[in-house]
Amino acid sequence: MTSQQVIFIILAVITLASGLVVVTNRNLFHAALAMMLSFFGVAGFYVLLEAPFLAASQLLVYIGAISILIIFAIMMTRRLMSTDESPFNSQWIAALFGTLLIGGLIIFVIVSVFSPFGDIIIANSAPPSLAVQESTVLLGRSFVDPDQYVIPFEIASVLLLGALVGSIAIARPEKES
Amino acid sequence: MTLGQIALRALIAGFIMSLVVITGFAYTTLLERRLLARLQARIGPNRAGYIPLPRKGKRERRLLGGIMQPAADAVKLFFKEDATPAMVDRVVYNLAPMLTVIPAILILAVIPWAGPILGYEEYFAIAPGIDVGILFILAITSIGVYGVVLAGWGSNSKYAILGGIRASAQMISYELSLALVILAPVMLAGSMNLNDIVVAQEGGWYVLFLPVAAIVFIIGVFAELQRAPFDLLEAEQELSSGYNVEYGGMRFGMFFMAEYMKMISFSAIAAVLFFGGYRGPFVDQFPALGLLYMFIKIVIGLIIMIWVRASLPRLRYDQLMGFGWKVLLPIAVLNFLITAVIIVLASEGIIAFPI
Amino acid sequence: MFAAPTLNLWVITPLIILTVWAIILMFIDLFIPAGKKQWTGWLTLVGLIPALALTLMQWGQTGGAFIAEGGQPMVVVDNFATFLNTLYLLTGILAVFISVSYIRDAGLERGEYYFLMLFSIVGMMLMGMANDLILIFLALELLSIPLYILSGFDTGSDTSEESALKYFLLGAFSSAFFLFGIALTYGATGTTSLPVILDTISLDDPLALAALGMLLVGFAFKVGAVPFHMWTPDVYEGAPTSVVAFMSIGAKVAGFAALMRVLGQGFPMWGELWQPAIVVISALTMIVGNFAAVRQQNIKRMLAYSGIANAGYILIGVAASATDPEAISASLYYMLAYLFTNIGAFAVVIAVEKLDGQKGLLVEDYKGLAKRHLLLSLALAYFMFSLVGIPLTGGFTAKFYVFGAGVTAGLYWLVVIGAITSVVSAFYYLRPVLYAFMYEGPAVARVSRGLMFVLVVAVFATLVFGIFPGPWYELASQATFGNVATFVAGG
Repeated sequence: MTSQQVIFIILAVITLASGLVVVTNRNLFHAALAMMLSFFGVAGFYVLLEAPFLAASQLLVYIGAISILIIFAIMMTRRLMSTDESPFNSQWIAALFGTLLIGGLIIFVIVSVFSPFGDIIIANSAPPSLAVQESTVLLGRSFVDPDQYVIPFEIASVLLLGALVGSIAIARPEKES
Repeated sequence: MTLGQIALRALIAGFIMSLVVITGFAYTTLLERRLLARLQARIGPNRAGYIPLPRKGKRERRLLGGIMQPAADAVKLFFKEDATPAMVDRVVYNLAPMLTVIPAILILAVIPWAGPILGYEEYFAIAPGIDVGILFILAITSIGVYGVVLAGWGSNSKYAILGGIRASAQMISYELSLALVILAPVMLAGSMNLNDIVVAQEGGWYVLFLPVAAIVFIIGVFAELQRAPFDLLEAEQELSSGYNVEYGGMRFGMFFMAEYMKMISFSAIAAVLFFGGYRGPFVDQFPALGLLYMFIKIVIGLIIMIWVRASLPRLRYDQLMGFGWKVLLPIAVLNFLITAVIIVLASEGIIAFPI
Repeated sequence: MFAAPTLNLWVITPLIILTVWAIILMFIDLFIPAGKKQWTGWLTLVGLIPALALTLMQWGQTGGAFIAEGGQPMVVVDNFATFLNTLYLLTGILAVFISVSYIRDAGLERGEYYFLMLFSIVGMMLMGMANDLILIFLALELLSIPLYILSGFDTGSDTSEESALKYFLLGAFSSAFFLFGIALTYGATGTTSLPVILDTISLDDPLALAALGMLLVGFAFKVGAVPFHMWTPDVYEGAPTSVVAFMSIGAKVAGFAALMRVLGQGFPMWGELWQPAIVVISALTMIVGNFAAVRQQNIKRMLAYSGIANAGYILIGVAASATDPEAISASLYYMLAYLFTNIGAFAVVIAVEKLDGQKGLLVEDYKGLAKRHLLLSLALAYFMFSLVGIPLTGGFTAKFYVFGAGVTAGLYWLVVIGAITSVVSAFYYLRPVLYAFMYEGPAVARVSRGLMFVLVVAVFATLVFGIFPGPWYELASQATFGNVATFVAGG
């Protein structure tokens, strides 16, 4: 095994194990922390794939913002030290069934396309050396290049603007006139 | 170099730099106490350790009084009883100090300390070659919020959780402005690699081109470090001491350590982004001089932080949030926009600007 | 530094106008005092009407912009997109007329309402114009997020907040399905561009099959098709009625637009594969929607189930298009007719609704309406007849074309289900009409000028579609997907 494979396995174990903790832990706060750890593992995958920009963005967005938001929500709404959250509700059987169905689907798909999948990746991607060397620069350029992704990029900005205006509109306290 | 050698080198360099910075942390506390005392017309701790200079006929002269004070403090913290309150959430309670210190140390990884010395090809840093160094710093800083939040929640105490919420809200609010002004040097240098930013300042420090960004950055750093005048979460009168009220002994020491290490690393980042980093006279001939320049710049940064603490009163909480969102953030956004426009105009040759 | 870009901004000019105007309006709104926010509403029209004019000018043109990898444009304008864009813009304009007085009377008068609506319209328009799965996803979010917020715009009301939260959670859930479908499509083909997918996808790839399934689930959520319809009644009941009128048409049509584009342009040769799925969804949607509507006492819930049922009818045309691409025009015509009928029905609901505490929304509250408001009651009756599908209404001709498309495609039993459920629908659609004309009661209504305008337009349009459907159907049948080959040259 190469060192990369060892790191991959460690990261995979961290990501999956903490993912399991998220859904099984009775303490909501601990579950949120486990989710953060899971996100961290995903950031590790990005590093392993030599996509440093994505890794840093993953840390910044998922751990620095989204998880904090979730933890804030828990802090504001739950009693301190409450550990009696049940991870099950009345629909857990249906949820389990749905999860198994989708999990089975994914496994089936991966197993059945395993070999052609590899070919497709090789056929469609640029030579890795170039991509890795300049990945951040390429990413940045492709966002503002009219011949690549400028329109999704701009639409995403409009989307964020809309979300920003909307969240302020909702959060603003009611003013009696 | 193979991957293994790079990893080993980073490990050794990281270990040494961490030790240096931890020592630096210890002496920063001393610097702060002595300087603060001087600014308040007191003397400060001057008893623990000194260098005796015997003089004829008179009593010996005591040089650098208080030089062992940090060691004494450390010994005290280590031997203090490390009491854990009864009803805390143990996992979170124990995790919090670690999650505070780890990011503080991790930031050091990408800071370029000097030019090509000690067999480093381009520049001396623990992890050279991280092209997204700035983003790495921002990401790690944002993880730093966890320490505060977890300490607040895990302590199972009203004061702690209020302090935790205050502190994290403050850090998140000011992180935005901080991130936006950091983009200005990035745009000017055309790289997120910290060394490229330093090299790009050969023609002049960025503080000259981007004075607004530098000022906003420094204010943001004060808020991020929760130092005066933004040390609301430690508002003793209201919150006893904020999120770390339930911690004692070395666990408290870790929070303390993280704060001062962050002071050092943010001074270093400020030096890199706006004050030419390790560059200075004759640094091209003698790259090792870079270490000295970095040291001087960091110490000046620390002195300014302490000076501000001694001079300015604390803000009220609503003033703090209002200032962050309504003043600093718009300035940061405008600064970003104007810088971008000027850079594009200059690169198209429409206006003359020395970049 | 930058190479001369090959932009074809003409394609997205209406979108640019709307977006820029929304942003300018935000600044203008700062200077409009709190009591006079109706001006923001009327100023919204300054953006919508030029956008509509430009969209009409784009009719008959085919073009693409923003050539991405694979040489295909990311955004296309063809008659299909132009036809649907006209629908959204008409919906938007009518919704402004409905909203101005409604949100003032409901005490929700804030400028954000209108910018969010404009943003949502931009998203809707992009849904039909996007030629790339990434862009469809972004358009989906751009149309949805403002709607989540508008649903919860009545921040003082628990039902409104409940509706926003439900809509948001389920919407995010469906977006996740959709995104997963995109990821799997990318895994199978290495691209997100619809025409390139068409070229590269292979029929025996299980990955692509799973991807198609996920995409279908995502769309079914958005259009409110069974079994992913559960959110609709709760959201419609709680959200401000003017918002419901807007989204019950806009969001649904936009969902169909992207569904048709993806199925018709990305996976057309899989017709025999997705047709059974669409047929089953369509049948279930018609049955569940109509039968559940029978039991509703609240008119907004009733119209919500009616919206589900109508999604089922539109799906007949989509299912038929698997074998005959022209069948799409029946669905397009259906949406055109449904737009006016539905917005008219909601205008009546708004007129009768009493804004202090969700009253006047029960079917019983229509008792005796005809005594005091004969014209309004006649309009109500006419819209309800149209929704049932009684001749001389737009609803009748729409159903006629859709069923015709189904018969042509050989989907006989689906058409039979459609016909039977239409008969069932008469029961609940005619109930408020019955109450209004046959019973004594205290029902009163207020018809503001904006509402009056909408009612007149809606009645007139439904009448025109009912009597002279030919030219309009002709327009719909011209609204087909642009020829892929022309994009490569014309971009």
